[in-house]
Amino acid sequence: MASKAITSTIRRALSKPHGVVSRRHHLSTAAAAATDYEDESIMMKGVRISGRPLYLDMQATTPIDPRVFDAMNDSGINEYGNPHSRTHLYGWEAENAVEVARIQVAKLIGASPKEIIFMSGATEANNTAVKGVMHFYKDTKKHVITTQTEHKCVLDSCRHLQQEGFEVTYLPVKTDGLVDLEMLREAIRPDTGLVSIMAVNNEIGVVQPMEEIGQICKEHNVPFHTDAAQAIGKIPVDVKKWNIGLMSMSAHKIYGPKGVGALFVRRRPRIRLEPLMNGGGQERGLRSGTAATQQILGFGAACDLAMKEMEYDEKWIKGLQERLLNGIREKLDGVVVNGSMESRYSGNLNLSFAYVEGESLLMGLKEVAVSSGSACTSASLEPSYVLRALGVDEDMAHTSIRFGIGRFTTKEEIDKAVELTVKQVVKLREMSPLYEMVKEGIDIKNIQWSQH
Amino acid sequence: MVSRSEVLSLCRAMLRAGRQYPHYNLREYTKRRTLDGFRMNKNLTDQSKVNEAYAEAKAQFVVLERSVKFHSLYPPKTKNIMEVKLQ
Repeated sequence: MASKAITSTIRRALSKPHGVVSRRHHLSTAAAAATDYEDESIMMKGVRISGRPLYLDMQATTPIDPRVFDAMNDSGINEYGNPHSRTHLYGWEAENAVEVARIQVAKLIGASPKEIIFMSGATEANNTAVKGVMHFYKDTKKHVITTQTEHKCVLDSCRHLQQEGFEVTYLPVKTDGLVDLEMLREAIRPDTGLVSIMAVNNEIGVVQPMEEIGQICKEHNVPFHTDAAQAIGKIPVDVKKWNIGLMSMSAHKIYGPKGVGALFVRRRPRIRLEPLMNGGGQERGLRSGTAATQQILGFGAACDLAMKEMEYDEKWIKGLQERLLNGIREKLDGVVVNGSMESRYSGNLNLSFAYVEGESLLMGLKEVAVSSGSACTSASLEPSYVLRALGVDEDMAHTSIRFGIGRFTTKEEIDKAVELTVKQVVKLREMSPLYEMVKEGIDIKNIQWSQH
Repeated sequence: MVSRSEVLSLCRAMLRAGRQYPHYNLREYTKRRTLDGFRMNKNLTDQSKVNEAYAEAKAQFVVLERSVKFHSLYPPKTKNIMEVKLQ
């Protein structure tokens, strides 16, 4: 009886005339006891919200595009062989599929397929690049240059290298988030083994001057590594123009599956590195282990799609970013954009609201899925190190919110986000005595707070 | 040789398929992308280019139908905020 009910429900779902699951046809089988359509709201972590929040956190991760999903399914069901099995059809099929995906990834960045190594994500690629290159040249090269706004995995790898005896220079950034090229030039020493600067910052969205940095590295003959997880598929990336030696990529930032990424390792002139994963010598000996075929196919399809849709998405996302910023600025004052407005990826908007407390703003914005600081460092209550490196004041750093706009975001979602943010900020500012004092004209920085 | 009515009926079929996604964002994206995609190629005069664009759209239609069926097997368990307020 239960199986008949299930098949009839599936048939009904497939032949439904319109998309929204209507309340009258709720599942009443025993198998679906978990869902309860009478109470539409969600209760989680002590907070009640009336529906699934609208998703504006595209820098943390992105939903999988249905076209990418389609490319992944067949391999899991039919072509499930190990791509490294050389003796039968299943292995050959899987190997062909992985090679097709490799070509798709390589085309997106202007590289040759032989230069792409598939990994489990950008974190593994960053670790392999930073530690691998320095360990290979550890007799002659002892110095690494990176910036203060890098992703935590690069900073942590550099700290690990410091414990092993290498020296690391953490370049400061200007207040707009960009690297100072003169400082970079001065920091390069004869024993510099690697320069690692990310292309698009995941917290503030600024795009570094990659061509100029690549030029400097080429002059001094230092390998240039970049964490391009937020950059590929969103801004035009060309490894030859930027003179890149190593590049980390991640699939789940460009509407692909989680758990796969790639490292680009240049072959001409050759970059040599020590592998992190030892084993059977797969992926040119640099990353042993069975290739995650299904995920890799998804990654390839996502890159292919990103190449075709880059211009269209960029136009759409830029329009939405302007709508968001103008909508908020019309109704609120004291709104500061963190990071350079000119050299920025339009899908990332990091705003600070003055005279508002950060945690209470986030708690009030439960119907909008945004983040403050990066997802990796959200466990501690410290303001984000990236904003601190920009020189943002502590109080402004606490109230920063990062809006991430993507391919699937709609105009109505942006309007709703503007409405909810403005409502919450106005409510908090009305309660704030600091804001009252500012409105009366008192300068907050020059107040002598009395001791009790 | 692809005629105007064939192109229009493919566009209508894709829009009709996209409306069946239980997911708010995918529904809206498919509608916008299909209309913009067909509009971008509206003024093509070279018949071979028209045939090429039609074949590409037809291939994407096959993928769309398959993915609508697949995504409909996993509808979201609660409504999206954007749909709740519309009531």
